[in-house]
Amino acid sequence: MLNCTKLVTVTGYINNLPTLSGSTLRLYKRPFNEAFEETPMLVAVLTYVGYGVLTLFGYLRDFMRQWKIEKCQNATEREEQKDFVPLYQDFENFYNRNLYMRIRDSWNRPICSVPGAKVDMMERVSHDYNWTFTYTGRVIKDIINMGSYNYLGFAQKAGTCQEAAAKVLSQYGAGVCSTRQEMGNLDKHEELEKLVARFLGVESAMAYGMGFATNSMNIPALVGKGCLILSDELNHASLVLGARLSGATIRIFKHNNMQSLEKLLKDAIVHGQPRTRRPWKKILILVEGIYSMEGSIVRLPEVIALKKKYKSYLYLDEAHSIGALGPSGRGVVEYFGLSPEDVDVMMGTFTKSFGAAGGYIGGKKELIDYLRTYSHSAVYATSLSPPVVEQIITSMKCIMGEDGTNVGKARVQQLAENTRYFRRRLKEMGFIIYGNEDSPVVPLMLYMPAKIGAFGREMLKRNIGVVVVGFPATPIIESRARFCLSAAHTKEMLDTALKEINEVGDLLQLKYSRHRLVPLLDRPFDETTYEETED
Amino acid sequence: MVAASQISGAAPKPPLQPSFGVHQNTYSDLFYRIKMNVGVAHSEVNPNTRVMNSRGMWLTYALGVGMLHIVLLSIPFFSVPVAWTLTNVIHNLGMYVFLHAVKGTPFETPDQGKARLLTHWEQLDYGVQFTSSRKFFTISPIILYFLASFYTKYDPTHFILNTTSLLTVLIPKLPQLHGVRIFGINKY
Repeated sequence: MLNCTKLVTVTGYINNLPTLSGSTLRLYKRPFNEAFEETPMLVAVLTYVGYGVLTLFGYLRDFMRQWKIEKCQNATEREEQKDFVPLYQDFENFYNRNLYMRIRDSWNRPICSVPGAKVDMMERVSHDYNWTFTYTGRVIKDIINMGSYNYLGFAQKAGTCQEAAAKVLSQYGAGVCSTRQEMGNLDKHEELEKLVARFLGVESAMAYGMGFATNSMNIPALVGKGCLILSDELNHASLVLGARLSGATIRIFKHNNMQSLEKLLKDAIVHGQPRTRRPWKKILILVEGIYSMEGSIVRLPEVIALKKKYKSYLYLDEAHSIGALGPSGRGVVEYFGLSPEDVDVMMGTFTKSFGAAGGYIGGKKELIDYLRTYSHSAVYATSLSPPVVEQIITSMKCIMGEDGTNVGKARVQQLAENTRYFRRRLKEMGFIIYGNEDSPVVPLMLYMPAKIGAFGREMLKRNIGVVVVGFPATPIIESRARFCLSAAHTKEMLDTALKEINEVGDLLQLKYSRHRLVPLLDRPFDETTYEETED
Repeated sequence: MVAASQISGAAPKPPLQPSFGVHQNTYSDLFYRIKMNVGVAHSEVNPNTRVMNSRGMWLTYALGVGMLHIVLLSIPFFSVPVAWTLTNVIHNLGMYVFLHAVKGTPFETPDQGKARLLTHWEQLDYGVQFTSSRKFFTISPIILYFLASFYTKYDPTHFILNTTSLLTVLIPKLPQLHGVRIFGINKY
């Protein structure tokens, strides 16, 4: 059983240095500082009051729309069809038309330039409270982009990557017009896969056209009926879909909670499959490197220790952490100083840090050869487009330093500096920030539904683009704004952004932090959770 | 969350109970499937099930009832017994409408419509009975009833009103009436 020794440092953070019982092996070679400050009670009460008021007004407006006092802007059934069985249930749309519509202008904003550190946006106005938008024709220029997953700043329209991609575009064209197994296997793809394998430190790798499809198409190839998947609570939709498509049994453990994972592993091995008590064919643990909504980093040393102890397999989704963590950008495995051989399946995407599109899976040669034959992506999906492949190759070589310059290393360092600086400044200002100190994803808590819309709009007025998220995508009292830092952000840009965030924070009274940090293992989630069961 | 953990009675019964006496906990022997969640930060299939367990919900609810009572007491036409009976009746009416009459979820869930015909009470904690939230929301109308009976000095008219109102809100909470629609009322 893993137990932890906790040290409270000067800043009040709790350094968690777990030790394996019976030996003094230190699993973590560096401090692991993660904090999720609990919602203040007053704020929670006011959030519920806010949602309550919105619900009551929603009912009132629905009543007025039904009795034709107010014009209904939604699609409705025709008069002749009123006696038929309804096609849709309007209550399911309640939240959409009464809450989401009010603040809809914070999402789906059309941008019209490359999403680098600064971005141009088309200006939209709405004259009927966000039911329809019209473009004024003006383009808002040079908005500081705090929302794009551009961790290393490779989303550029000029530079070596772009030139190489343009050259390949003129040589190979844009489309591949076939799948990997038919006529779509270019020499560029082979070059890319060798490079990815070298970058990760694994034997072999395979690249796919879409990051989401990598997860959803390959997990079914790896596990099937009679296998067990242990998946983290906050896993991405692609992992959840892949797990569901595979037909394996899925059990969820509490987010980043190693006690919960160990309990599940023990139960699985002791009790076996549900009715027959046979041993599970395979146990696969699904975790992500950085969880993009929380900003937390997986406790990889403990997961690997558990995996080895209970002889299960590990599938690590490094979508947000590849290129963003580690001294040379090799991801979360390098960040913790572990060996890539301990992770059975290393998956990642090229969308975030490499400025391209697509995903990859790396691992042992037998595994990748098996996936080349049996994965749905390989058989049915079109392969990566050549200029995109060239973008990945150039950016990966840049990160590795093989293009002869120090640019890649400088970018990785700049990102780490930006992360530390930004997080420290926000905490000093008094905002509640979730997640690990080293993760470039910074969720800033907003809590109340009105503040979600207000924050998005105020930041846009001040020329900063942010992504805000609310219920039901997050738990009801944990709406947040999510900042994604980039190596392309200069210190001046960050200072400008911080100044504006400070102003908006004072205006909207967002500085809730009392520096009462919750111990890392007691996350403010329900202790008693009930899962949906099949009857 | 803190309140929920303070009032925890018997361990929640898992919905599947085999006839032989095998020790069960909530994780082992319950196999379930996660459905696809697009654009969500958690793999919770139906967020409605967890809303009543969130931090501060019970306090907000108690404060809401208190606020209602204060507003009713401030109206000069109502005597104290009338104000209490009105609080009780309006609270039970609100609870009946929002917990036992309205069905489904106000947002689209990835559970393919399983919860569409269920009231909010039936959706709580995915149908597991005797959880802390359920106990809290069963006990609170009873406490309100005690207070109303006391302050109306057990007057017969008030008694009838309060008792019928309490019964309308207690009977749907019985586990035997989970998913039951009498005379097909409110079925679809």
